[in-house]
Amino acid sequence: MAATKTQMISRRKFLKLSGALAASTAVANPCRVLYALTKDSGVKNLNEIREVFSACDMCFNKCGLIAQVENDIVKKLDPNPKSLKSRGMLCARGNAGVKQLYDPDRLKYPLLRKGARGEGKWQRLSWDQALDHAAEQLDKIGKQYTRCGFLFMAGTDMQSTFVHQFAEAYGSYNIISHESNCLLSRNRAFLDTYGVMPTPDVLNCKYVIMPGANRFEAIVTPDTMDLMTAMENKSKLVVLDPRFTKTAALADEWYPIKPGTDMAFFLAVAQVIISEELYDKTFIQEKTSGFEELREHVKQYTPQWAEQETDIPAKDIKRIARELAKAAPSAMVYPGRRSSDYEDSTQIRRSYAIVNALLGNWDQKGGLLVPKKVKPGSMHLEAPFYEDNPDDRVDAGMAQMMFGEEGSFKHTRDAILKGEPYPVKGWMTYKTNPMQTGANRNKTIEMINTLDFMMTVDITMSDTAWMADLVLPAPSYLERQDPLSAFLASSTCSGVITRDAVVPAMFESKPVFWIVKELAKRLDLGEFFDYTMDDFRKEQLKKIPEVAKAIKEDGVYNITGPSYGLYKGKPFKTTSKKIELYSTRYKSKGIDPMPVYKSPKSIPENHFRIVVGRNAYITQSASTNNNLLWELQKENHLWVHPESAAALGIKDGETINVKSSAGKVTIKARVTKETRPDTVYMDTGFGVMSNWLTNIAGKGACIAEILEDRADIISGNMAMHETFVTISKI
Amino acid sequence: MTQRKKYAIIINAAKCIDCKACMIACKVENNVPEGFWRNWINVLGGENGSVRTEFQPSQCMQCDDPSCVAACPVQATYKQDNGLVVIDPEKCIGCGNCVTACPYKARYRDPVKKIADKCDFCEDRLQRGKEPACVVTCPTKTRVFGDMNDPADPVAQMVKKEKLVQIVAPHINTRPNIYYFEGTKLLDWAVTPMLPGNVSMPREFWKTVSTVK
Repeated sequence: MAATKTQMISRRKFLKLSGALAASTAVANPCRVLYALTKDSGVKNLNEIREVFSACDMCFNKCGLIAQVENDIVKKLDPNPKSLKSRGMLCARGNAGVKQLYDPDRLKYPLLRKGARGEGKWQRLSWDQALDHAAEQLDKIGKQYTRCGFLFMAGTDMQSTFVHQFAEAYGSYNIISHESNCLLSRNRAFLDTYGVMPTPDVLNCKYVIMPGANRFEAIVTPDTMDLMTAMENKSKLVVLDPRFTKTAALADEWYPIKPGTDMAFFLAVAQVIISEELYDKTFIQEKTSGFEELREHVKQYTPQWAEQETDIPAKDIKRIARELAKAAPSAMVYPGRRSSDYEDSTQIRRSYAIVNALLGNWDQKGGLLVPKKVKPGSMHLEAPFYEDNPDDRVDAGMAQMMFGEEGSFKHTRDAILKGEPYPVKGWMTYKTNPMQTGANRNKTIEMINTLDFMMTVDITMSDTAWMADLVLPAPSYLERQDPLSAFLASSTCSGVITRDAVVPAMFESKPVFWIVKELAKRLDLGEFFDYTMDDFRKEQLKKIPEVAKAIKEDGVYNITGPSYGLYKGKPFKTTSKKIELYSTRYKSKGIDPMPVYKSPKSIPENHFRIVVGRNAYITQSASTNNNLLWELQKENHLWVHPESAAALGIKDGETINVKSSAGKVTIKARVTKETRPDTVYMDTGFGVMSNWLTNIAGKGACIAEILEDRADIISGNMAMHETFVTISKI
Repeated sequence: MTQRKKYAIIINAAKCIDCKACMIACKVENNVPEGFWRNWINVLGGENGSVRTEFQPSQCMQCDDPSCVAACPVQATYKQDNGLVVIDPEKCIGCGNCVTACPYKARYRDPVKKIADKCDFCEDRLQRGKEPACVVTCPTKTRVFGDMNDPADPVAQMVKKEKLVQIVAPHINTRPNIYYFEGTKLLDWAVTPMLPGNVSMPREFWKTVSTVK
């Protein structure tokens, strides 16, 4: 610590030496080099600070950053103002990225399970031993149960594409992402209405309704910033949420809607807009299909009726509908993101999509857009054919309209537990933590216990790693070279970003690209991965040379210019070539062609509905153990309304039992008016089983333990708001 | 000779979303020890109410009449020509007088370095031509940083154009250099400077600073 003190003294002395500062020199790209003072320098002895572009990986947003590197140590992560997606910001998690890199809890070398699963006894292996073992298991399971007997699950990551390619080369169709625990029902609904998943132009919007979405806490760039800018420009924000989130706190109007009734609200809004003829008639005629059916259908859904369902006064529903229509087409029902809530999640989101269509906000400033996008190329992979493989995914047919390339975690888990239609006995996970994010943790454990082999590639010992047989250490995003990744930002831009190693990888950590290459070699699949990351990037850039230049100079490539008015006269990619208010495709599959409202199951006496949510310093379960973020939140609490708490004699801060049919946890109560009396809430990412997460081990409770696993009937997305819990004093 | 700088920050609290990016950015930039913060966000509870909540960021106000400077028995803390109130770690004896003397509770005793510490508008960054970490990282750009003595600087212009307010302690005006937009709701959290033990602030200090009714 003496060094620190010296450093400070000399700094002060230096400051007196007028502005004789900071000779800044441009050096080889992508780094700029600046000089700052060091410890005992006086003036001459300058320490070099290297600036290196990268993209944040503390959540899925990929915000642009500039790492400040001194002597190969990352001192600080600053935002990259050139990224038009992140608009020159880094959030708390982005700033805490240095502690993902310098985390004493990081995995340092390959580990093989020694005791029972989840017992936490490990043996250190060399990489050769670890890879030989994994390859042997992949080969054995493939031979014994077919290649589809091995399941691959990779989360949102710039290298996940290589896990998918490995799975294809290996021969398994059973590839799932994190998305079926997140947003697939939203994608399904908008895709089936518009033929594409549009992007909201929040920046130019004059009236935003956010049902459930919590954009000031669950940060999505640039929507979070754009929403504030829009509000400064007098845009109105109306929030429907059973919780008083920070988005609700900053909104013009907040309605603590009864959970599960959002569709009733929007069907009533549609009813008002249609019955009062507040829609753009030309737009409806030219661009939509099924308007007459919709008009008939929503007649039953009056604001008076919706008031009974939603707890939102009819006069407000009516007024909001009129205000929305008046602001149209620069008005929107914000599509939101995580939509893993009810068994009819897709239909709930269909009701948002339909109201947006009535507002005529398609391809309009302040509406729903499909911005221009760059498509980097990829290595073509001619997957081999394995004769003995079954016909389809293990979860095929378990949802009405599943995304084949995404799958469903819930349905796959059920199929594996049943052993039908065929056995799946191996599992590889990368950068995803279903033990914390997949509802019903006990079922996940049960599933793992039916497997012959499970391997996890991760940075720290997540709960999923904790249950694995083989754990392989991955580097953080600041220590590896990634492929290029296109991103869709919003109205004003989309673009491309990439990563180079800011500092060398620590310990024995290896990127998953290297891991799958090594496994491929051992499985005689080496030919499919006969390239380096540089080769891959070259292939990606083949048709877009301008991207390489921008990334080198600015750390990011942005496509700018307006992204509305691009689709004038172009047909929609739907059956009718129009926006489908009425879906003939749904009709043909026996699905309600327009959203039909069913009241959510009523909450049994002495029970509460538990809901899922986010705050600005937690990325699901991936950041709660971070040394810096942990200081902001050291455990989670169950939010209970004061009336409900009083009835049960529960005091603020008291440890209580929370129980559902899926499991039971103990957690401290947070008695607060920030939730409805019938609704309770807790943050994700605590109550860990892994005691290698030393900051949070033994703290709080795991929401996946008590969430029952239901699925959205159409998409197979997890439905996480269908759980009722009891709470009691200990 | 160039004119002396007078650094200031103008905060539009209505734009703060309480994401705490500024707090973590500061912590990393300045190696602030666990359990301590150089900046923070006050919350005006609109809990379950119809009032729009205000999240109000704050930090050391780099006062023109700093009570912390007056309270320092060894002149370790002083105001520089550029307006920044700083601490000379070689002189600081870690007595803690300045900690309680600050009406804004902006100071802490660093348990590792055993001296007083606080926000210095990231002077290291300023020297490298960068704005303070809290200013740069903010998603909604709640803070605007600049030089009040430069007429072309945005802060100097905002002070002229906008209706701004300051948070001033009861009984005493230390003339802070952090400004908020009018309409800021939390104006009353500053406290009267106090000293522990029997050390007293020089009489001149109370005379020189303007009093507040």
